[in-house]
Amino acid sequence: VPCVSGDLHKPTNVTFISINMKNILQWNPPEGLQGMEVSYTVQYFIYGQKKWLNKSECRNISRTYCDLSAETSDYEHQYYAKVKAMWRTNCSKWAETGRFYPFLETQIGPPEVALTTDEKSISIVLTAPKKWKKNPEESSISMQQIYSNLKYNVSIYNTKSNRTWSQCVTNHTLVFSWLEPDTLYCVLVESFVPGPPRITHPSERQCVSTLEDQTTALEVK
Amino acid sequence: QEFQFGPCQVDGIVLQKLWQAFWAMKDIVQAQDNITSVRLLRKEVLQNVSETESCHLLHALLRFYVNTVFKNYHDKAVEFGILKSFSTLANNFFVIVSKLQASQEKMFSTRESARRRFLLFYRAFKQLDREAAVTKAFGEMDILLRWMEKFNQL
Amino acid sequence: DGVAVLPAPQNLSMQSTNMKHVLTWSPVIVPEEIIRYSVEYQGEYESLYTSHIWIPSSWCSPTQRPECDITEDITATVSYSLRVRATLGSLTSAWSTLKHRFNQNSTILTPPGMEITMDGFHLLIKLEDLGPHFEFFVFYWRREPGAKEHVKVVRPGVLPVYLETVEPGAAYCVKARTFVKAIGRHSAFSRTECVKVQGEALPL
Repeated sequence: VPCVSGDLHKPTNVTFISINMKNILQWNPPEGLQGMEVSYTVQYFIYGQKKWLNKSECRNISRTYCDLSAETSDYEHQYYAKVKAMWRTNCSKWAETGRFYPFLETQIGPPEVALTTDEKSISIVLTAPKKWKKNPEESSISMQQIYSNLKYNVSIYNTKSNRTWSQCVTNHTLVFSWLEPDTLYCVLVESFVPGPPRITHPSERQCVSTLEDQTTALEVK
Repeated sequence: QEFQFGPCQVDGIVLQKLWQAFWAMKDIVQAQDNITSVRLLRKEVLQNVSETESCHLLHALLRFYVNTVFKNYHDKAVEFGILKSFSTLANNFFVIVSKLQASQEKMFSTRESARRRFLLFYRAFKQLDREAAVTKAFGEMDILLRWMEKFNQL
Repeated sequence: DGVAVLPAPQNLSMQSTNMKHVLTWSPVIVPEEIIRYSVEYQGEYESLYTSHIWIPSSWCSPTQRPECDITEDITATVSYSLRVRATLGSLTSAWSTLKHRFNQNSTILTPPGMEITMDGFHLLIKLEDLGPHFEFFVFYWRREPGAKEHVKVVRPGVLPVYLETVEPGAAYCVKARTFVKAIGRHSAFSRTECVKVQGEALPL
């Protein structure tokens, strides 16, 4: 049923939230309609092309977000998206995003961090964050393949000396030897790509203890 | 940190500063471009550019930006209060053009193919109303900086 | 105000150290009055293409002090023209322009301050925060005949940076210098600092 356009306020704060190329369009309900049974319809546009395109899974939806990752997966293109609200027989005008450039705007998630220890050393294995993929069967693409200048800022906190120090690395394995035995160390890693300013996402802080010094352990026995 | 465009080298340019300058005005500038069905720096202009070609192409593009785009966008920059960002980009592009000038003159092999690429951009620019074309070109500097970054030797 | 014409500021001078650029001038004195100053700049692009346009400095349009930190306004390695004028109420002086154009590549680079510490058997370095322009080239070696010198490029950060895992009983030495990409110049080296690692030397 065609609705009367323009009688409703537009949805607000229409923006892309993008992490590792998972590109979610989200918005706030129109002013004064929070909690009401409002439905929304989304369209998107590829900059330089001719037509607005429909996203069928986001037609007449009640939620205030829409996953446009598949539609915006060519990260060297730029995109616009727009959403309009419908309530009873009224609908709003379209509310549009600015120009969205996935390659420059996606936030880079933290790497996976695997720690193993022995008496006096901790080895850290980093696995680059994965790009969003349409379905699980697809082979994974690492964000490192997209951003060849991806770096990691590794910080180490010695809970006994209460000291923290850092190291910026591009490789994925590093070993800290000659640590203090029987000591809890905490590691935190952040991905970093030179270029436009991006929000960073540090990894979960992981703590691991070095083993007891075997020589003293033997003497005790 | 310097840029290596084939045989042409440009140092003293801190790309991070250019990104910060453009990012500070991106939304304002791109919001003025209503002709979203046209992209000047299309893939055909910038994709698969050989290293030797890149020196010519960048020189042609940046010289056009300095002599035409910035020159005609200046009053808008004053109007939108983005003179500082505008000045950062204009002066750094000015430095790059000056540094590329000598080295790209000595190279003839890829000049013609680079010129064809530039003409793709230039014809699209000329097909638009002058003010709209300048606004669009100014708003596409993120595409240009992204392409330049590939030649950045960190 | 009893002041027919406000004199223009005199003795404009530029001090630039470690990419921090400060323009100074002699204050304009009008008894019992507060004088304000405005600073404006032009890069080479503006001088050539839009010479009628001057850009107000980020922090000193206006200011009451006879100096202005224009570090954030100098964002390219080109020569900049700078000018200052005084204002008192509705009275404004003529512009005074810096005699010689300023280029950031003339900045004075000093050896960096650094602090060498240890965390157990880990050699750490904390470097003076000189701002985003700076990288640090850190040279370190084990103090013994024929020792190999290592170099690590360190970017500014809050935390101390890990350099090397060291051996008990050995001594290690460190020196550093800064590098500024925008102008392609190094500073002189800092003093060399050496530390002795606790514990007994390992048997050969």
